[in-house]
Amino acid sequence: MSQSSLYNQNAKLGYSTVAINHVIDFKEKKQEIPKPISPSELLPSLPIIPGKLKPIKIVTRLTLVVSDPSHCNVLRATSSNIRLYDIIAVFPKTEKLFHVACTNLDVDLICISVTEKLPFYFRRPPVNMAIDRGIYFEVLYTPAIKDSTMRRYTISNALSLVQICKGKNVIISSAAERPLELRGPYDVANLGLLFGLSESDAKAAVSTNCRAILLHGETRKTACGVVYTMKKPQPVEEEEETLPACKRAKTQV
Amino acid sequence: MRSTRELGLAKPFATRAAQPGHHYLRVSVEFPDGGVRLNAAHFKQLIVSALKELHGEVGAALPVDVLTYDEKTLSAILRVSSSGFVKLWSALTLLGSYQNRKCAFRVVQTSPFLLALSGNSRELVLD
Repeated sequence: MSQSSLYNQNAKLGYSTVAINHVIDFKEKKQEIPKPISPSELLPSLPIIPGKLKPIKIVTRLTLVVSDPSHCNVLRATSSNIRLYDIIAVFPKTEKLFHVACTNLDVDLICISVTEKLPFYFRRPPVNMAIDRGIYFEVLYTPAIKDSTMRRYTISNALSLVQICKGKNVIISSAAERPLELRGPYDVANLGLLFGLSESDAKAAVSTNCRAILLHGETRKTACGVVYTMKKPQPVEEEEETLPACKRAKTQV
Repeated sequence: MRSTRELGLAKPFATRAAQPGHHYLRVSVEFPDGGVRLNAAHFKQLIVSALKELHGEVGAALPVDVLTYDEKTLSAILRVSSSGFVKLWSALTLLGSYQNRKCAFRVVQTSPFLLALSGNSRELVLD
């Protein structure tokens, strides 16, 4: 099966975590969000990374292609299968949706289109807000391998993104469907240099930032609120002669 | 460069990186369909066409040398000047097909020193 060879190739190249992506496009009618496939169903045994003793880790990811504000309502629904995915990404198609995604939506990743000219320009305020919230921007590299027009769009869109966000919070990922379209982690980090990232940002785009996204997804799954205790200011104790010390009230409500 | 005061030495102590230097890459090309025979000249032409596709005529004019080439495993050691290193590496990464056949370049090792390509310092293996 070509999928198992994909994971083998990933492990051979040195990747320790792979995310399986489900893309939901709301333009088509009646899209229901399916439950994520559990990794143990796909492969009986995961390939082991050469050089380490652990097998690769597979996480699940959902990408929502939104072209209308009503499509974002599914993110707020509490009963859908969205909660079961590890990472949630959104692919905004208009400028308003990009702004909403950066400021309000509860997602981990915002995908940047690489197969067409950007339908909108990036502006600094929403991008900075997204960076403060811990949201990352994603650039794909596999379309650049297939076709030369895509190469131009990838590089130009990535360059404009990096100019606005100053290199922070960018990840580069592949949308590979075949093992031949995968490239090693250092090769991808080198592509980051081509997109205008600095050397440390390019390496982080393949390693540190991706881990931060996984942790961001975990916080979204687990914490819904925080309880903390606050010390109440104590009133001044007055001398009590009526009761001996052991019988005095020890706690105050 | 460290000044005398920082190190407490009598003489100034300077460290300088190696200047117009070369970078060396150990690469191998994969053709999944198999049955492809490339001699050294074709391999060089493959690299030049990859550079031309991504970086144009200026990229294709980058001086790249194929130091060794093994026809059976389709692997080679390349040398490129350090200024063109990123261009060459990115061109090899983004190469998708050659003469209508799908291929993939795998860069195994890179180093500014040729001697380092004979061993793998991560796993401490010497060929």
